[in-house]
Amino acid sequence: MIRVESLTKDYLLGSETFRALHTVSFEIPNGMLAAIVGQSGSGKSTLLNILGGLDRPTVGQYWLNGTDVSQLNRDAWAHERNHTLGFVFQSFQLIPTLTAWDNVALPLVYRRIPLKERRLRARQALNDVGLEHRLGHKPAQLSGGQQQRVAIARALIGDPPLLLADEPTGNLDTQTGEEIIALLQNLNQRGHTVVIVTHSPDVAARCRQIIQLRDGRVVSNQISEKSASEVPS
Amino acid sequence: MTWKDSVRIAMAGMWANKLRALLTMLGVIIGVSAVIVLVAIGQGASASVTSRIETLGTNVLFVTPAGGTPFSQNQIAEIQRAVPFPVTAVGIMNTPAKVATLQTTSAAQVIGTDASYIDLGALTMAAGHFLTPTEADQGQHVAVVGANLVASLFNGNSPIGQPIMVMGQQFTVVGVLNPVGQGPGASQDNALFIPMTTAQYLLGTNQLSEIMIKTATPNQADLTDNLLTNWYTNRFGANAVTIASEDQVLQTLQATRATLTELLAGTAAIALIVGGIGIMNIMLVSVTERTREIGIRQALGATREDIVLQFLLEAMAISLTGGVLGIAMGTGLVSLAPLFLKTPVSFSWFAVALAFVFSSAVGLIFGLYPAIKASGLEPIHALRYDG
Ligand SMILES: Nc1ncnc2c1ncn2[C@@H]1O[C@H](COP(=O)(O)OP(=O)(O)OP(=O)(O)O)[C@@H](O)[C@H]1O
Ligand SMILES: [Mg+2]
Repeated sequence: MIRVESLTKDYLLGSETFRALHTVSFEIPNGMLAAIVGQSGSGKSTLLNILGGLDRPTVGQYWLNGTDVSQLNRDAWAHERNHTLGFVFQSFQLIPTLTAWDNVALPLVYRRIPLKERRLRARQALNDVGLEHRLGHKPAQLSGGQQQRVAIARALIGDPPLLLADEPTGNLDTQTGEEIIALLQNLNQRGHTVVIVTHSPDVAARCRQIIQLRDGRVVSNQISEKSASEVPS
Repeated sequence: MTWKDSVRIAMAGMWANKLRALLTMLGVIIGVSAVIVLVAIGQGASASVTSRIETLGTNVLFVTPAGGTPFSQNQIAEIQRAVPFPVTAVGIMNTPAKVATLQTTSAAQVIGTDASYIDLGALTMAAGHFLTPTEADQGQHVAVVGANLVASLFNGNSPIGQPIMVMGQQFTVVGVLNPVGQGPGASQDNALFIPMTTAQYLLGTNQLSEIMIKTATPNQADLTDNLLTNWYTNRFGANAVTIASEDQVLQTLQATRATLTELLAGTAAIALIVGGIGIMNIMLVSVTERTREIGIRQALGATREDIVLQFLLEAMAISLTGGVLGIAMGTGLVSLAPLFLKTPVSFSWFAVALAFVFSSAVGLIFGLYPAIKASGLEPIHALRYDG
């Protein structure tokens, strides 16, 4: 599903460059539930943003579903994100002026799917995350956990094979975070490849693959044999 | 993204900031309504002069006296002698007055003149006859009425032979004029023609208001203009009379029209720039405010084109809504114009089309930069923006 080779990311700070990622290489197979862990500032978000095509590596190569996406232009990446990727962010990233219903339907707008079908599928997606009774609510009228569930519904509506979540529980209490992780786990069991950036050892422990970063380098990459549902990429 | 969705998102964007959008539109609204009103006034003015020229032809001169210049009926014969070719010269005495029938009263323009007035070609008869030389010579109490007066005083019934009261005297209607229509000629629709001698008697003066001269050709009109200018200067000194030809009126009209066109272009340009800058300003604010939204849309699959279209269409929605409101306001002002403008106005679809084109162009041109700026944002930076 995901293969990166010698990814390096440099940030230019004035006259100095700061290396946030240092020749990072790894693979995440299809159907995997993977965690990226590491201390604050170790480069987890930087890595996930590159995996999502939101940011670009300074050097290195990236294969997504077997195709080299290192050289894709912006609009090709937009297409890729729309069809292949679903995002869940720590800060939810919902559009405040839109209702939950419209927020969830947004990815389908960029797939040129007609309004009626979008509405239908968005309602179903909200139903799947247990929010069918909050269709008309704006993000500000929802709790943090509800907002994150809306975001997950949005990530799911286009049925993308890969879900990227950057600290999805970071802004939630333990109980609510638990529910969100359960939701993501459930999605993984239904065949989605899920990559979670997390600080929580509990969350990481529930993932079959754990990639650990330190100062921009991969210091460990383990796959446990807990489950057999995984399909090699 | 489909076109339908682009339009939907643009409208929603405008709607989310209704008041701000409305204030932004103000420049466009004012500019567009100014364009519509100016076009209406310009076209109205030219229509009125054109209609007069159509009825009178261009070879007509109007001689009006300056204050203190003796200006009596006798001068008509002298003018005709001073000019080496035959001309029709008609004296006019002009006064507004109330005229009445047994039933009702109306304001009218009472015009004392003689039989040759009809030879100027400005009027045609609907019924009866114009003032005859006999009626004029004998100072009979007869009147020829304009089309509007027939409607207002006689309910549209034939007034021939009916009595009518003018300045305390009873007259008999002997003729009815065809309507002339709009323009200064319209005063003839509200006019009541009586014999010159009768008018002199009623008004107690021999002083004419105007002498109208019609020549056979426009060239002769020019010549007559020069001859009479000299003749009056010799007799009464410089500037004793003003001589205006239809030709001059035409030139004035063309000059006025040119001025109006320049004014129009100026107003349109100001509307374009002021309205456009306002829209550009607000769209830049909007792009900044919605940086995160742009990042989210990009993360979910919006291409550069999608983002450009979203903001460009929003700018156009603002300017077009302003254009439509401006058209409504301009049209409203045009229909109210007769209440406080003496000059006639004429509404034109051309101005509406012009306004429409202007306002969409404004949105397009001034919305382009903010839209391109929005589409150029890096998704990662846009998502992290906290504003
Ligand atoms: N735009 C940027 N410009 C300069 N430096 C940056 C930028 N973004 C990130 N960095 C640096 O890169 C390093 C990695 O940042 P990153 O956000 O990936 O860390 P992280 O592992 O996600 O940390 P956290 O757990 O706190 O979210 C940090 O030291 C950070 O200061
Ligand atoms: Mg992070």
